[in-house]
Amino acid sequence: MSGSAPGTILHRAIFNKEGRRIVYAFVAGIILFAIGEAVRPGFASLDGIRSILVVASFVGLVAAGQTFVILIGGIDLSVPWVLNAGAILMVVSSLGTNDRAIPALALTLGMGALVGACNGAGIALLGIPAVVMTLAMNGIMQGLTLGLSGGMTCTSCGAYAPPVVQAAVHLRALGVPVVLWIWLVVIIAVSFLLGMTRFGRATYTVGNNARASHLAGVNVAVVTIVLYALSGFFSAMAGIMLVGFGGQAALGMGEPYLFQSIAAVVIGGVYILGGRGHYLGSVAGAISLTVLVSVLLAFNMPDYGRSIIYGLVILALLLLYGREEDSA
Amino acid sequence: MTRPAVEAVEVGKSYGGVAALTAASFTATAGEVHALVGENGAGKSTLIKILGGRVRPDTGVVRIGGNAVSLSGPQAAHDLGAWTVFQELTLLPWMTVAENLLLLRETKGATGLISRSATIRDADALLARYGVHHIDPRALVEDISLAERQTIEIVRAVSNNPQILFLDEPTSSLVEREVEWLFGQIRALRTQGACVVFTSHRWAEIRSIADRITIFRGGKDVGTFTEIDEGEAVRLMTGRRVEALYPPLPPMPNAAATALEASAMSGPNVRGVSFSLHAGEVLGVGGLAGHGHRELFRMLFGDATATGGQLTVHGKTRRFRSPRAAIAAGIALVPEDRKTEGLLLRMSVRDNATLVILKRLTRFGVLKPAEERRAAQSVVDSLRVRTAGISQPVGALSGGNQQKVLLGRWLLAECQILLLYDVTRGVDVATKHEIYELVLKLASEGHAIVFYSSDAEELAHLCHRVLVMREGVVAAELHAPGITAEDIVSAAVRDHLAA
Repeated sequence: MSGSAPGTILHRAIFNKEGRRIVYAFVAGIILFAIGEAVRPGFASLDGIRSILVVASFVGLVAAGQTFVILIGGIDLSVPWVLNAGAILMVVSSLGTNDRAIPALALTLGMGALVGACNGAGIALLGIPAVVMTLAMNGIMQGLTLGLSGGMTCTSCGAYAPPVVQAAVHLRALGVPVVLWIWLVVIIAVSFLLGMTRFGRATYTVGNNARASHLAGVNVAVVTIVLYALSGFFSAMAGIMLVGFGGQAALGMGEPYLFQSIAAVVIGGVYILGGRGHYLGSVAGAISLTVLVSVLLAFNMPDYGRSIIYGLVILALLLLYGREEDSA
Repeated sequence: MTRPAVEAVEVGKSYGGVAALTAASFTATAGEVHALVGENGAGKSTLIKILGGRVRPDTGVVRIGGNAVSLSGPQAAHDLGAWTVFQELTLLPWMTVAENLLLLRETKGATGLISRSATIRDADALLARYGVHHIDPRALVEDISLAERQTIEIVRAVSNNPQILFLDEPTSSLVEREVEWLFGQIRALRTQGACVVFTSHRWAEIRSIADRITIFRGGKDVGTFTEIDEGEAVRLMTGRRVEALYPPLPPMPNAAATALEASAMSGPNVRGVSFSLHAGEVLGVGGLAGHGHRELFRMLFGDATATGGQLTVHGKTRRFRSPRAAIAAGIALVPEDRKTEGLLLRMSVRDNATLVILKRLTRFGVLKPAEERRAAQSVVDSLRVRTAGISQPVGALSGGNQQKVLLGRWLLAECQILLLYDVTRGVDVATKHEIYELVLKLASEGHAIVFYSSDAEELAHLCHRVLVMREGVVAAELHAPGITAEDIVSAAVRDHLAA
């Protein structure tokens, strides 16, 4: 079932499977916070929660794009290097100055959307499978990024993010970091787009059955291209936020976000084959995943151990959800 | 009538709280052909799934050959000699006909590996043994027609020498000649002492082959008969009396405007088809499956490109590049397979009904929920769709009600030209009647309708004119009154009989 009137969201959250999964994901996050607090007092303090949510917001932004494409049964594997290219393009084109920040933002977000649109065009118009198309695009973006930046040896590559971008991540408004306000706006906008607009409805119909949608006059190609463009847009946006967070861009900074964005979407109960799910679920997924990582850090779990636990959590959830499917 | 070959005793089964079967009992004996009839949702398919080992009953006992059994899966049923041809086809589309036929018993070559050529040779021999000559064992299942797939399913089951054969609506995708072929196979099995259980909505077929008939209603058996007339059977099935199945054909309006005109349309599998269609007219299209009807419909709807000829819609020459363009010109298509091409099964009745008119229900791309609900509710009310509500997933509705939602979608869009492709396939008799009434009502309101059906009887009763297609051309044009199913069938098979 697709998104529907806001009045039914509560009803849905309580009664249907999709809604329940969103609740599970949020509950898991809360439980993990409690575990963290037990292991290391102060973990779930206001400061602790704030910093975890900031980290989660980066995953959450990428997951917004990933939610869009997974809803039509696709996937975006070009996330790591679109994000990385976005981060580098941001610092290089702004040279760390505020007066160039706005054109640099437009350029970077436009680059992300354009690369995403190319993904969508390859998939929708040329019939290339999403996995192949976006994986190839990831390689192309990696090559372009490395080549054009001379392996980050270009003179402007070491520039810092414009102060205004750094401030957006680090400053607080009403006690909440600005980046979280931005994320909140994205959450509302994406949920509105999916639940309340014709485009959102088309997204769900294409995800349910592209052939039937085509025969009902839905422009499947345009929907596909726009969704991938949105995914590219959000990857680039996450790149901008990350460079604001860390100050400088680095090679390989996008790598963790491929796995984490897909994981967040899956944890949030978006059906991996498309057609069902909500961004709110992916948000919950991004938060619980980030809390999980922090809890493991609190346990002094080494890097490799965290990787194993990540993988196990995803498998366990897919098994659980698969079972739920059968009993329906 | 001797020993029972298969028995269900007080069998019950629920899906998520909805009872599909409640304490239903059924007995079929060796050497008989037993028809299961009832409306969609009466529990026939569920019973067959249980007896075929695909679904486990919640309560009750299943006996095969006199012994109570607990079937763990279709394989367990096969081991007891019970085979099933399911309604949803179970072939693997990307494998060849031969591989599907001989699945898991492929012919091995000298190396001990599966030999492709030997598999094809054996499949060919198998098809020939069952009198099937028109299907190439090398063809991919994906590329053959629905009727051919059904034929392959049947050959696969029959070639395993079943003691008990279950067929769930085997004839719904077959045309007359193939039905005859199937009945030949069924009679042969009966002669060998096997038990054949089948479901069908076509009364003439049931009468011609069934030794006994068991009627189901609301998840329970309501009686088993050796002799019963159609009116009585329908009354038992529906719990009410249905007047004549086919409503009277309204007269063609005089001097009605031409809605659609095709001249010498050609394309894949269609060669030079011309016709004109008037407002208020039901134009039937008939003939054997695979003779270009599907392609013709797809071309008219912009889903396939015409390579030649001309299409005129309401007086304007058109060349549709997509269904979207055809819809904008007021053309609607209810496709062959509503589950894969028509409906979004997991989405709600509302989402399905309003899909085409969403533009009208939005402002700056934002949905207006109240108006959308009203529009969807109007479909449910005016077409008497039986559903718990417009937020119910459409997949949970019965076949006939799904079809109504699909039709309602186009009526909301106010399409004047309706292309209806086999809209009563797999629909129960009461709903069929409602669909017939609806089609004729739409025609009398001025809609122009192109109506393809695999059921010649339907075409004969519902159409002002019938075009019979053979090998991509119009082989005959028949005019009402006085069209008979025999006329249609004989026009469709003339060459085949001569050959």
